[in-house]
Amino acid sequence: MWPFSLWRKIHPVLEENRRFFKDFDQTKPLNEYEFVVYDSELTGLNPRKDEIVSLGAVRIKDLKIIPNENFYCFVKPKRGLPKDSTLIHKITPEQIKNAPAIKEVLEDFIRFCNGALIVGHYIDLDMAFINKVTKRYFGGPMANPCIDTLRLAQVYKEEEWGNYYDQFNYNVSFNLSNLAKEYGLPEFQEHDALDDALQTAYLFLFLVRKLKKGGINTLKDLYMAGRSWRWLF
Amino acid sequence: MTEKNKDVHSVSPQVVKEFFKNIIPFKELDEDTIERVAQNCIIDFFPKGTMIFKQDETEVEYLYIIQKGGVKIYLKDEDGMVTLKDFRGEGSYIGALPIIQGTRANLNVETVEDTFCFLLKKEIFLELIEDNPKFSQFFLKSFSEKFLRTAYQELRQHRVAPKTEGTFFMFSVPVEELVKGELKTIPENEEIKVAAARMAEYHIGSLLVTNEKGEIVGIVTDKDLRTKVVAEGRPVTEPVKNIMVSPVEKIAGHKVCFDALLKMMSKQIHHLAVEKQGKIIGVVTSHDIMVLQGSSPLYLFREIVSQRTIEGLYPLSKKVPLIVRTLIEEGAKPNNITRMITILNDHILDRLLTLMIDKHGAPPVPFCWLLMGSEGRREQTFRTDQDNALLYEDTEDERLKKEAQEYFSAFGKEAIEHLVNCGYPRCPGDIMASNPKWCQPYSNWQGYFDDWILRPEPKQVLHATIFFDFRPGYGKLDLGIKLRDHLTEIAKRQEIFLLHLAKNCLETRPPLTFFRNFIVEKDGEHKNRLDIKKRGLMPFVDFARLMALKFGIKETNTIERLRLLYEAEHISKELYTETTEAYEFQMQIRFVHQLQMMEEGKQPDNYINPSDLTDLEKQTLKEAFQVISKLQSIIKDIFPLM
Repeated sequence: MWPFSLWRKIHPVLEENRRFFKDFDQTKPLNEYEFVVYDSELTGLNPRKDEIVSLGAVRIKDLKIIPNENFYCFVKPKRGLPKDSTLIHKITPEQIKNAPAIKEVLEDFIRFCNGALIVGHYIDLDMAFINKVTKRYFGGPMANPCIDTLRLAQVYKEEEWGNYYDQFNYNVSFNLSNLAKEYGLPEFQEHDALDDALQTAYLFLFLVRKLKKGGINTLKDLYMAGRSWRWLF
Repeated sequence: MTEKNKDVHSVSPQVVKEFFKNIIPFKELDEDTIERVAQNCIIDFFPKGTMIFKQDETEVEYLYIIQKGGVKIYLKDEDGMVTLKDFRGEGSYIGALPIIQGTRANLNVETVEDTFCFLLKKEIFLELIEDNPKFSQFFLKSFSEKFLRTAYQELRQHRVAPKTEGTFFMFSVPVEELVKGELKTIPENEEIKVAAARMAEYHIGSLLVTNEKGEIVGIVTDKDLRTKVVAEGRPVTEPVKNIMVSPVEKIAGHKVCFDALLKMMSKQIHHLAVEKQGKIIGVVTSHDIMVLQGSSPLYLFREIVSQRTIEGLYPLSKKVPLIVRTLIEEGAKPNNITRMITILNDHILDRLLTLMIDKHGAPPVPFCWLLMGSEGRREQTFRTDQDNALLYEDTEDERLKKEAQEYFSAFGKEAIEHLVNCGYPRCPGDIMASNPKWCQPYSNWQGYFDDWILRPEPKQVLHATIFFDFRPGYGKLDLGIKLRDHLTEIAKRQEIFLLHLAKNCLETRPPLTFFRNFIVEKDGEHKNRLDIKKRGLMPFVDFARLMALKFGIKETNTIERLRLLYEAEHISKELYTETTEAYEFQMQIRFVHQLQMMEEGKQPDNYINPSDLTDLEKQTLKEAFQVISKLQSIIKDIFPLM
């Protein structure tokens, strides 16, 4: 356990989480992987001082969304609910009065994600919040590889640009609901963790099938597609 | 929403339930059943062009419910012949029939746009069918209704009311409205040959016969002349009373045309005297009623040519829609219909101006009546606004010049008034021969075009586009042709001018975004309407005009311009076919739309309501709009802007 021997013991659910990704094979066809599309509502954007208010996640198997296999709950932030965040996600202090603390739902959430890749729109932010609490309570971050739909959308846009013809649309937005509108996806209410997760799941399916003109077959293809994007590194 | 939800994994998202609650026939199900449906469905995405079902191959495991997007359903026979069966959009299903029958897919299903579907396990679907009579009834009913439709057929059969209802006019127009002009009579003792001469003079087929007191005692028709005079060798000097039919069959003026037709049929006659307040006011013939019913353009054509008074022309243009209706029912192509309308309108104009010249005397110098805009392109639909101008020959003689100016100024104004009475509304932009600016000698016209072409101002060019579609309509056509030759010659070399036009072509965005919602959004909720002329048709017109000017083509009709561009190999065959089809289909949609409005007694406009369209029409229209993007990228290639 060196050099982290002072850390508390890693929680079993997290051990299980890590075991799965130890020898992770990237070369299988995409539909053989499971994905969990995750979105959280937050009290603010700073992982150091802000907290999670709501978690929403939905599973994708065989590249199909399984709406019934979802994870959705409110949690009660330790430092209360700032008013300005309520304006965005419309979650009121009343709604979370009896909600559990994040610590209490974390195990279920990790179990829900175990074995799956995590997909999200600007997922780094959501993972920063989650990993802060998994580190604090369970002894380490989650090991799931993550896929950012925002990056995929950027790659897709880049691909389109080659024969892109639209003189009015230079102001590109990568906001989730704007992308949904632009691609003609079914649109859901914004700023509800589960609806946003579903929206992201639709976006993910769309991009995975459309990228490289449908030529994304394996998980590796997907990573490569993301890497080929010239502004990435 | 549950606050503390330990059981998070088994509750289906609200949005999924909402979807099912809003579509037929799932909305009939109770809350618990909807929950069960939502729990057992999954969501899949099929990019445009994906085969979801392959005929006779695919084992159907799920009922597919389209959440967003659309599919086409088609059949392929042994020879590989493809028959399009249907388009389905949001909230529609695929796979129900094979599941119920327990067979493989009976048809090919291919996505025509990016499509998201809810997939419901077939076991669950069969359970629903079994347990919910209303639910199963829906599917049974839809099976019998859904099949066998194709694009134009659908337009004709489902949008234009069937012919039996098409005789609607016969039930609403009273016969007295068909009576035109003075009562045409002849005294009973007049010779037969006088009667015949008078009928020829008036271009009519009957005369009412009067006695000494002026009372109407009978009728003589051309049939009487044939059967009783020519066939029997009767001398034409005999009095008319010897061959007349007496007494004359009458009908009250307020009776509708249908009654008149019934009476004619039962009595085996073709003429009826129309009686109003005890007085006979004229004759109505079976031919009048046929024209009203719009059965043949030829009748109307003859009627226009035989008009002897300007006022007599007034009601004729109103009959044009009736003829168009018949043409649409018979499946005429839109370009043929617009040409027919143009010919009829041209004849009305020809007749009108000829009668005016008869009245006012010959003009001091030759002139040419110019038709602009859609009239110039021979693409008129119903009641297109007037767009016209007058061009007369230059003269050096000052006196003649002044005389010409006065003559044509008055002539232009009067002609416009008559045209308004004929039912052609004034041009809101005042581009009419009554406007002194557009009633000018040749040299000034040439000056106008030189200004537009050689010293183009962006705004002026925009306003001037309709002038570039002019066509000589009446008078000394050579004058108009000379002007066309001149502008064709200079325009093709003026890059700046063409660039302005090209820029204009790129400014209208194809209505694709609108359309994306169009095919997928629930009908009826969409209050948006589409200006099919401005957004859909004009890009084609603008494209054809630009290319015609660039390549020195003198033609003005859009389809003809495209054909000439193709023949001269300026556009590919593929593009030619695509544009023509797209353009004509939109014209068709517009015709049907305007016809419907007119039959509802409204002023026709160009605003299409998506909820009036079937999925198939929407799809075809959408494909038509996609051609616009293609045209625009071609323009971009030819005219690299900026």
